[in-house]
Amino acid sequence: MMNPSQHALRDITRRHFFSRCSVGIGSIALASLMAERGAAAPAKPMRNPLEPKPTHFPAKAKNVIFLFMAGGPSQLDMFEHKPQLTALNGKPIPESYTAGKRFAFMDSSHRSDLLATKRSFQQYGQSGAWVSDLLPYTAGIVDEISIVTTCKTELFNHAPAKLFMNTGSGLFGRPSMGSWITYGLGSECDDLPGFVVLQSGPRGPRGGAVLWGSGVLPTTYQGVPLRNQGDPIVNLSTPPKVNPTQQRQLIDAVRELNLKRLVETGDEEIATRINAYEMAYRMQTSAPELMDTSGETADTLNLYGIKDPQESSFARNCLLARRLVERGVRFVQLYDTNWDHHGGPTENLEQHLPEKCRDIDQACAGLVLDLKQRGLLEETIVIWGGEFGRTPMGEVRESTGRNHHIDAFTMWFAGGGFKPGQVYGQTDEFGFGPIENPVHVHDIHATVLHQLGIDHNRLSVRSQGLDFRLTGVEPAHVVKGLLT
Amino acid sequence: MRWKLAPWICLAWTVSTVTAEEPISYNRDVRPILSDNCFACHGPDAEHREADLRLDTFEDATTVAIVPGDPDNSEVWARVTSDDPDMLMPPAHSNKPPLTEAQRAVLRTWIEQGAKYERHWSFEPPQRAETPTDSHPVDYFIAAPLAKKGLAPSPPADLTTLLRRVSLDLTGLPLTPAEADAFLQAAAQDPEAAYSELVDRLLASPHYGERWGRWWLDQARYADSNGYSIDAPRQIWKFRDWVIEALNADMPFDQFTVEQLAGDLLPEATESQKVATGFHRNTQINQEGGIDREQFRVDSVFDRVATTGTVWLGLTIGCAQCHDHKFDPITQKEYYQFFAFLNNQDEPTMKVFGSHMDVPSLTAEFKDVEAKMAAYMQDHAVDLAKWEANLTPEIKKSLSAGVTNILDMPVEKRNFAQNRALFASGIGAVGPFRELNDRYTELDTILNQGVTTMVMKELPKPRKTTVFIKGDFTRPAEEVTPGTPAVLHPLEPAHELPNRLDLARWLVSPQNPLTARVIMNRVWQQYFGRGLVETENDFGMQGTLPSHPELLDWLAVELIEQQWSLKAMHRLIVTSHTYRQSSADRPELQEKDPDNYLLARQNRLRLDAEVVRDAALAASGLLSRKLGGPPVYPPIPDGVMNVGQVKRVWAVSPGEDKYRRGLYTFVYRASPPPSLTVFDAPEGFSTCTRRIRSNTPLQALTLMNDSGFFEFAAALEKIIVQEGLETAFRRCTTRAPKPDELAVLSKLDTLTAARVLLNLDETITRE
Repeated sequence: MMNPSQHALRDITRRHFFSRCSVGIGSIALASLMAERGAAAPAKPMRNPLEPKPTHFPAKAKNVIFLFMAGGPSQLDMFEHKPQLTALNGKPIPESYTAGKRFAFMDSSHRSDLLATKRSFQQYGQSGAWVSDLLPYTAGIVDEISIVTTCKTELFNHAPAKLFMNTGSGLFGRPSMGSWITYGLGSECDDLPGFVVLQSGPRGPRGGAVLWGSGVLPTTYQGVPLRNQGDPIVNLSTPPKVNPTQQRQLIDAVRELNLKRLVETGDEEIATRINAYEMAYRMQTSAPELMDTSGETADTLNLYGIKDPQESSFARNCLLARRLVERGVRFVQLYDTNWDHHGGPTENLEQHLPEKCRDIDQACAGLVLDLKQRGLLEETIVIWGGEFGRTPMGEVRESTGRNHHIDAFTMWFAGGGFKPGQVYGQTDEFGFGPIENPVHVHDIHATVLHQLGIDHNRLSVRSQGLDFRLTGVEPAHVVKGLLT
Repeated sequence: MRWKLAPWICLAWTVSTVTAEEPISYNRDVRPILSDNCFACHGPDAEHREADLRLDTFEDATTVAIVPGDPDNSEVWARVTSDDPDMLMPPAHSNKPPLTEAQRAVLRTWIEQGAKYERHWSFEPPQRAETPTDSHPVDYFIAAPLAKKGLAPSPPADLTTLLRRVSLDLTGLPLTPAEADAFLQAAAQDPEAAYSELVDRLLASPHYGERWGRWWLDQARYADSNGYSIDAPRQIWKFRDWVIEALNADMPFDQFTVEQLAGDLLPEATESQKVATGFHRNTQINQEGGIDREQFRVDSVFDRVATTGTVWLGLTIGCAQCHDHKFDPITQKEYYQFFAFLNNQDEPTMKVFGSHMDVPSLTAEFKDVEAKMAAYMQDHAVDLAKWEANLTPEIKKSLSAGVTNILDMPVEKRNFAQNRALFASGIGAVGPFRELNDRYTELDTILNQGVTTMVMKELPKPRKTTVFIKGDFTRPAEEVTPGTPAVLHPLEPAHELPNRLDLARWLVSPQNPLTARVIMNRVWQQYFGRGLVETENDFGMQGTLPSHPELLDWLAVELIEQQWSLKAMHRLIVTSHTYRQSSADRPELQEKDPDNYLLARQNRLRLDAEVVRDAALAASGLLSRKLGGPPVYPPIPDGVMNVGQVKRVWAVSPGEDKYRRGLYTFVYRASPPPSLTVFDAPEGFSTCTRRIRSNTPLQALTLMNDSGFFEFAAALEKIIVQEGLETAFRRCTTRAPKPDELAVLSKLDTLTAARVLLNLDETITRE
């Protein structure tokens, strides 16, 4: 009798042999080929490094979409309704809150006077979650999402904090969450990368490529940026002077010659490379197909708030995210930049935060609803949040703004077995720190991995004498209260 | 030593079987079990020690937990075999599975045999074993474990394979067909002499320094930008050139070390020795707004400590930053004593003139010329006024905007530079002023607009260094002075308060049991794809044991006896049969040693990222062999500079700089060049002592479609047209194609054939 995971493995192997390898090379075919020539057969069955792998325990979810608001969205103007903050506007925050704490911009614009929000808040849905007038569409889906107001991180500068949210460490060289997950689970997609990154906003996120780097894991698992202009993937297009027939001839001839070398040397790396060329060739077709949204209905485009489907935007990226998980891509991360509302000339709370919210609000809600109506939400975890939040205190700058804040900030989660329609955690009267159910970044990581069928303690890789984990060395907890 | 009596044929991937006749070795058999399962809570870290029990020393373990000779009365035995989940060790919360039967058997036998502890192997000085005169020492040490497994080494690789292998390994470039032919002809006469001559020639090639320089630059975490969010470009390529030049000159590795860690502190330090200290300036600099600068300065010192520990000692010293090391005998206090050596620096940039330049006399001349010009202008003020008065509107129009602006200024407000500009455009445009002015311009350029590089400089007054509680720089504790870990050889400082120079000399002291082993292991790794110690960055308790300990020791002692000459060691390794044998797999190896730890064959290795490029450039005939100089900007795909916070300009280099070797490509840490990173080039965030070799579809897309590689293919197509497919094939793989291979290629149009050749697995592999 086979147990269920053996069944799954066999299915995967069959699928691998019949679909992936019909053009490439399967292990059985190779073994017989080698035997014919009297050469050594490779010891292990050849694998695509991204082949799906068994989970530690049955998974609730298969894919992740992380909507990353780079810069640190202001939870106090979006989700956290704090009448006391309004009542004590301009008064210094009691020292008991800030004693011994460090903040960014300590030597310049940081101040300790409380800053009221100018937004109006209302409760929505069955859950009665508070949402401000900046997010009318998100307000409409509060019963689909779990809002966590007590997220907590450790670093208060952008690049280190982004690293922390993505890799569980402020140090460089650690794998990002998407890399860990594709490493742990492989990918169900054989013609697109397993971990894809999309960007919107006026610039790239602070830290750049390291945020989706694979650190100590092979680069096979690093995030691949999918671009809205030019080639969606770097070097995807056949060179201008080459026609499709020539490209296919190239692949075929390379395969034929590589196969001869494989038989000669018995090096299974050559088999992996033959398969990599096949996948590259498939990507050349599948990536442009993915980017071509002309088949989407007007209703769908409206749902996301996409006005011009050709134009690069966060909303279009949300639609692409759905198309990616539909195709089995494991981890999709969207970066939207300029959420750093200090009150500087281009990033303040009065004008620019509302603009940013308009950019993303309808699209985020549309994504959740679209996934739901297609039956994809159950198996897809949608995460919304930034690297940290913002202080209840205001700053002294050109206009109104708040400083970086790490003690309590808001993220939300949808699908993938996260409990819909709840607000989790409670913060104090100013929203400065948690008074109930704090959720550390490592807990978020542990929880996401858990839903994907991975025990965060067991997903590790040995380097420098240590077992590296996404969740680090201090104990991390699966937040059961967030799950159905 | 134990393994001198009974050859220590320990292989990291096997669980050694316990037999009555072979005594248990603590280092080989027991320590890995205890270290992995027990030491985290019952080891050197005092703060996190549970139940006040320590199992890493005989004295501590035998006071309570172990009764030597009597496992049944040893608490340890009871705990690892208990049925009671509350009693069982390791406990459930450690996420470690219970010990296996084999592991328990090892522990039991070890206790029965007296629970003897041994010092960790890598902390003992390396011992050179005797080798017979009639065999190559490398082959001698490789042969015994093979024989024990009933395996024989592989036959020699055929000559063209060997030729390509050694050329790529020593210079990172394949030989041209003509060079290959010359070697093959010579080899037909006397293969040994021809090979030996080839090795000498390759080691003498300036490209040797580029190839092995990149090996060192990985460890130095070299890149051309500041990292973090802003990632502004920086100028530190002089350090890169210093590394290349030092390796080409075969600078002894001890001197190489001292100059990089403390060149500025050497007596009468030369400019070159100061440039060398750029090694520890390759840390990132955070230029983000709102940061606490001290936090990131401390972070960069943490990185310097970790890098020094990893690169020279192969120890994870960085682990003791927040607490005593969990596995190795390094306390947190010792960590900060080490930190203190590296916490006392100013971090300036330095203008670099080159050793050939006499800066003091040029400076004197510059001042002299300046004075003569001032005097001349004073003497000819009247002439200038006349010239000015006679300026017609037409002449005025022909003058530059800068000059006309000066003319609008009152005479008495004009400074030296402004007067100089007027004279140069007018009455001084010819004659003696012109001569002075030209020399002035020249000297000004040499002295004031030279290249700069980032260096280290000791502060006159040392910074106070303290232990930081949990590694948090806001929580200083006990003050410490510079010192080295007690488990290693003593520091013999030449200064009252030991400084970086003392540290550097301590690292390369012949007493140091680690440095020579660690470096030779990393050299070996380049030739075989894996070190003799597989965990090349961890020679501590958690590291793997050496597969061939006697060989590693022999190489380490030899390095020191060869006056730390790396070239001598390269020559030694590449002349061994072990290196020269075929890399083809064999059925019996698949069975007995599938991962080739015993080296009954060579390994096929995919070329390093830069060499993938270099080999294609060489094959296509486009390669520029220019050495050194500022980093270059070969074409990169559109849009890749947009991934970071600040979009960076990438102005493609003109002329031959488009075709320079990969190690000269400018690397922005936040948006590194995709064609390099896709082949696993490191981005310089932290020290890289071993590159992973991945094998991905994106690599295929790069070789097939990247505009750079396409250009190389177009050049190779010309070679096909002019010289035929066979020559083109040889330029890529060194060997001649077989008829069936030629048949495949000749069915294609020439451009496709050229692209196929550059995409072959063999072209990007060293066999």
